[in-house]
Amino acid sequence: MRNKNFNIGVVTFKNPVFLASGPAGYGIEYRDLINLEKLGAVVTKTISLMPKEGNSGTRLQETESGLLNSIGLENVGARRFFDEKLPELLDAGAKPVVSLACEGKEEYLELLDITSKQDNVDVVELNLSCPNVEEGGMGVGTDPALLRWYIKEAKHILGGMAVLAKLTPNVGDISSLAVISEKAGADGITAINTLLGMDINLETGTPVFDRVVAGFSGPAIMPIALRAVWEIAKVVRIPVIGVGGISSIEDAGKFLAAGAAAVQVGTAIFYDPGLPERIVDSL
Amino acid sequence: MADLTKGSYETEIVMRKRVSPSSFLIALSKPDRFTDAMPGQFVSLRIGKGVSPLLRRPYSIMDITKDSIVLLVRVVGKASAALASGKIGDVIDIIGPLGGSYFEIKNGCSVVFVAGGTGLAPLLFAARKWAKERSVGELHLLYGAESSNEILDDLCTGIFTEVHIATLDGSKGFRGDVVEMFKGLSEGGILPEGELFSCGPVGMVKALMDSNTVSFTDHYTSLEAVMACGVGACRGCVVPFKSNNGTEYKSVCGDGTVFRAEDIDWEKWGKK
Repeated sequence: MRNKNFNIGVVTFKNPVFLASGPAGYGIEYRDLINLEKLGAVVTKTISLMPKEGNSGTRLQETESGLLNSIGLENVGARRFFDEKLPELLDAGAKPVVSLACEGKEEYLELLDITSKQDNVDVVELNLSCPNVEEGGMGVGTDPALLRWYIKEAKHILGGMAVLAKLTPNVGDISSLAVISEKAGADGITAINTLLGMDINLETGTPVFDRVVAGFSGPAIMPIALRAVWEIAKVVRIPVIGVGGISSIEDAGKFLAAGAAAVQVGTAIFYDPGLPERIVDSL
Repeated sequence: MADLTKGSYETEIVMRKRVSPSSFLIALSKPDRFTDAMPGQFVSLRIGKGVSPLLRRPYSIMDITKDSIVLLVRVVGKASAALASGKIGDVIDIIGPLGGSYFEIKNGCSVVFVAGGTGLAPLLFAARKWAKERSVGELHLLYGAESSNEILDDLCTGIFTEVHIATLDGSKGFRGDVVEMFKGLSEGGILPEGELFSCGPVGMVKALMDSNTVSFTDHYTSLEAVMACGVGACRGCVVPFKSNNGTEYKSVCGDGTVFRAEDIDWEKWGKK
């Protein structure tokens, strides 16, 4: 069998197919439907220092070949995640990549401190771009100085762990942010997070989501993600992980051909949980 | 404790029957795992092979027979229309049984079931299953729909102690909504003491809870929701519950579908 190994920094993955952060939750919810052990890694939903209850109101709205979500980073908080959820994910044989929220600086530093003490974690992905939370990532991923600070602190506090910078596409030039991330010490770039979208309820004439805007994902965004990966791969030397609307083996092949070293599957697992394993088999 | 593992299966349509102008029974060949499926659990069906519609559609299990899973499908949009137009032998990709809680009738207990529209499906399953497996008390069904066209009373025969029907247009049974009928029957002492199980539109469930001032010890409801993952992962189909620290969101797909109606934070939920 062909060796599918792939490295980010000093960390080796058995193959370059990951579950993306968000749709799969803590990963364990999908263990009956996806053989997690077979995948390169499972990127967890984004973990914040304190528990977050998430957004009120409608959280999901399907579109033609896409999905708007306004979950609001609902999660159990770092302590419960590391005590309860991570051990289950490890029991299921998964290789975890922990997605970390880039919140206020003090909270972020404490989150990094807790994460640095986890023996079972050697890769994190910084959610620099989640558009769902007013006080959250949006500003971080679009401001070069902040981006640099968040990545440098992660590299510094997490010691030898590999750090992936997950970038937002809601900027003018994503590749310049990728270059900044690389210079700040990121070991890899994950591109892209969700696009900003919205919807209107015609009966009331008001926005569907309490927070008005929502993250847009699914097959509809695939060409945008592919373009971002193509542009980023030309200007950085670190591995680029392509994510955004991958819905078939062919889509994954296009990302790899565009310069991605690995791919993540997100929204597609909702309707086709077998897809990530089929992509692994196709390599 | 029921087995709550789930799987992904290719099934075939083995029966399709129109039961009203807009509703169909669709039976799918049954994977072994579904033998122990519980009332209130559901399956999520992939409609077609493409990405439109993108998400799977959740359907409550209406019955588990020796060889099949029976679903009640009301045509309300493109996805349900596509499903309802399926032919015998068509392959349908399903995930299930899904849901982390279910309706259970204890030995000797009487239950009043309140169904709105296709909310009938999980209640029929609950009544049929537990009446077969346990010695239950009286089972009364209060069943409401817009009009007699949509009252599927043939499906309800031989299961309940009594069936009470309400239609908004008065074309069959009580004229008015099912909750008004509930109030009348309950104040008139017609209904047995016991538990209340409901399934239907959210407005119906809320009104029913507010009307349940008489003698029902608990009101359990199977909620409907727009879902993405179906397995409690994505947190898209959540409902707010009162908790010590403010609000706790629970997912209809993973924690439900069956909840104690009184535990839901209706005030917060109503804001959406």
